[in-house]
Amino acid sequence: MTAALTVTNMSKSFAGPRVLDSVSLSLEPGEIRALVGENGSGKSTLIKILAGFHLPDEGSAEVEGEPLLLGRGEASEALGLRFVHQDLGLVNNLDAVDNIALGVGYPSFRGRIRWRQERKRTRAALRDLGYEFDVRRPAGSLAMSERTALAVARALAPRQNTAKVLILDEPTANLPAAEAERLFQLARRVADSGMAVMFVSHHFDEVFGLAHSVTVLRDGKHVITRPVAGLNEDQLIELVIGRQLEQVTHDAKAAERRDVVLQVSGLGCDVLNNVDMVVHAGEIIGIAGITGSGRDEVATALFGGIDRAGEVTINGAAVPKLRPDRAMAMGMGLVPAERHANAAFMTSTLRENITVVGTSLHWRNGILSKGRERSDVAVWLERLDVRPRNSEFTMSDLSGGNQQKVVLARWLRMGPKVLVLNEPTQGVDVGAKSDIHKLIDEAAADGTAVLVISTDHEELVRLCHRVLVLRRGKIADEISGGRMDHDLITAATIGRDRSDAA
Amino acid sequence: MPRERAVNEPDPPADELPGRDREKGTGMTVNEQTPLEREFDPKPGGHRAPGRRSLAATLGLDRFSGLYVLAALILIFALWVPSLFLTATNFRIIAGSQAITAMLALGLIVPVACGAFDLSIGGTLGMGCCIVVWFQANGHGFILGIFAAVAFGLLVGLVNAFIVVKLSVDSFIATLGMGSILSAGTVWVTGGFQVANGISPHFTAIGQKQVLGLPLPVYYMVILAIILWWLLEYTPAGRYLYSVGGNPQAARLAGIRVGRITTGAFVVSGVVAAFAGVMLAAELGSSSPDVGVPYLLPAFSAVFLGATQIIPGRVNVLGTLIAIFLLATGVKGLQLAGAPGYINPLFNGLALIIAVALAVRATRRKA
Repeated sequence: MTAALTVTNMSKSFAGPRVLDSVSLSLEPGEIRALVGENGSGKSTLIKILAGFHLPDEGSAEVEGEPLLLGRGEASEALGLRFVHQDLGLVNNLDAVDNIALGVGYPSFRGRIRWRQERKRTRAALRDLGYEFDVRRPAGSLAMSERTALAVARALAPRQNTAKVLILDEPTANLPAAEAERLFQLARRVADSGMAVMFVSHHFDEVFGLAHSVTVLRDGKHVITRPVAGLNEDQLIELVIGRQLEQVTHDAKAAERRDVVLQVSGLGCDVLNNVDMVVHAGEIIGIAGITGSGRDEVATALFGGIDRAGEVTINGAAVPKLRPDRAMAMGMGLVPAERHANAAFMTSTLRENITVVGTSLHWRNGILSKGRERSDVAVWLERLDVRPRNSEFTMSDLSGGNQQKVVLARWLRMGPKVLVLNEPTQGVDVGAKSDIHKLIDEAAADGTAVLVISTDHEELVRLCHRVLVLRRGKIADEISGGRMDHDLITAATIGRDRSDAA
Repeated sequence: MPRERAVNEPDPPADELPGRDREKGTGMTVNEQTPLEREFDPKPGGHRAPGRRSLAATLGLDRFSGLYVLAALILIFALWVPSLFLTATNFRIIAGSQAITAMLALGLIVPVACGAFDLSIGGTLGMGCCIVVWFQANGHGFILGIFAAVAFGLLVGLVNAFIVVKLSVDSFIATLGMGSILSAGTVWVTGGFQVANGISPHFTAIGQKQVLGLPLPVYYMVILAIILWWLLEYTPAGRYLYSVGGNPQAARLAGIRVGRITTGAFVVSGVVAAFAGVMLAAELGSSSPDVGVPYLLPAFSAVFLGATQIIPGRVNVLGTLIAIFLLATGVKGLQLAGAPGYINPLFNGLALIIAVALAVRATRRKA
């Protein structure tokens, strides 16, 4: 039997190291294949090459023996490859019918779109996937699982050629467990019909529950392709991170117990579910979790940037929800993720970027003293080693790492009681990173309760007294003391339970 | 310890006119980079190093180009129509005729600074004018009329803010609609005709009396400019306005109450526009429907053209004033040189497009 999809010696580099290094694999019709690997292991690059989005440096691919013309989206489409990308690729203000038409076009009747029939077909396609919702609602207003179903329905919608391979990039990243199960049933049905299915996942329970076989990529290289049967979770983790999990590494920083500053009980939002935590003065708590685990939302939910359920108190006083100004006045600071969107004022000066918080500190006798602001800001630019060290430069003149330092300075200047940092060293070079870590340590030493949310697990090990691991919106594990190790954290985020690690 | 040195440094001189720092000392900091760091600098040559300052920057062309253009215009018309243009009376006419447009534009700066359009200011100006005249025509006295007009401006600001903040309607659409409603209001208040009866001479004196050869509204405009300049440059509120305009999401996550700032901005533009309407009534000694509409476009042109001056990429008070007088001088000079009547809107329209194109370029260079 010819393989449904064959990839041979595929390589790709983006200005520098190879992100994909001579990867080969093949899929049989009816097979469900899991593609696993750490962030940056090349999974998405491979998929984007197959989708015609990236042109590889070397390599070839065949679909049922027919060579695939690389770098052309239409060619992948014509040979029967179907994709559901990570962001789903839906147009939020169009309804289900229009979104499917974006993939397949409107079959028209004498130059006229027959809307009633189109809607009927769309409803039928969704019903086949086990979904029923109003197909006239814009995609943006649908629930995450409905949007995923719509993206799958679009991928499977009939076209001139038959679909042969369905490729899903982290299809469950945004789905709650029950809805993920519905997607699996769908994937099984697709495979039973004779198509090959390949999916990327960070959830190992999905790999074991759904896939027939698994391909592991590490640092852009193909590690192994083998059947799932006979493989256990520890072995798979080992294959993914490339070495055995050391059971005991070094002790986490011992926490000097002081008063409770931040108390969170029953924190919830669309992706978070009943999260409790207590942070003491001088303590640095880490939060780890994969994308969609609720990791990102913890920061903004606490600070009031998004709606939340549950109680948040600082030194016993309740912080109202959806009031960043109140949270700030009560001594909370937030360095959000995605600096450009959430933190930086790109056309303002460094001085204005820092003094946007606590502006009135230099407001005396009806005048905001720029001179005093400058000397105040100069101290912080010096302390964080921001380059160029001139408070009157525009934010956009700085490199990303320096911009991040400026945002940090904004909050450190206030000496907050609680400091919430989401990806504090995102896009920061090694030297600056260690500076920032030292500053976070110093802030904690001064009695600040610090919460660090990060996908950089080595950073969490370096900084934290304890690390809370989120999985599907809940705290699944707490790592501290002798278990503090970045591989262990990684393992915990993708689903190995504390009992296995003991 | 380097940190101490920075603290003990004498405060830099209190900021000279509204600009930001004059880029002094930047060369030092740039040169502190090691060659290696320079090599890894993601934007080599991106920093403006004063050691290599261009001639244009030295002459202030990046921030004061408007003043140069104004000087050039004056020179051109002085040579072209010396007997008409280069007279004290002419400059007085330009200053006096622009006072109301300038006030309207100054008020408009505030919402534009926080990223909102206020297209209803023309209508608010018209309503301010009609209300103060209506009060006098109906024997209620002009003082009460002035208060009523200004209170109406405040109300319009609050309603605009409600629509934009609470109903989340885009400010462009919300105030476009409001402007239309207000121009209907002017027809309703005036009955569709010019109203000029019962106007108190004390009232017209407010708008027509001359001090040192300049009509009073010029002085009101100067006072308003000083207040707004202080508000935008020397108060936390001003800083918050620009922050909201720069990145509303970041402003919210920095604890700024974006809704309140936006509300305040609409209230300022509404009140100022209504007050400008009162001044217009005092100048004209009458009111008529749709009297405010022709003022809208020049005010917008001035604000956007002003954003290319003094603090490039940012709407600001002095830049706006320069723009107003640049536009007025250009129009007046061309009129004196015999240009046809349609030169005014033509010149304003061209200037608006050119100004925004320049502003986009300025911000793109920065970003």
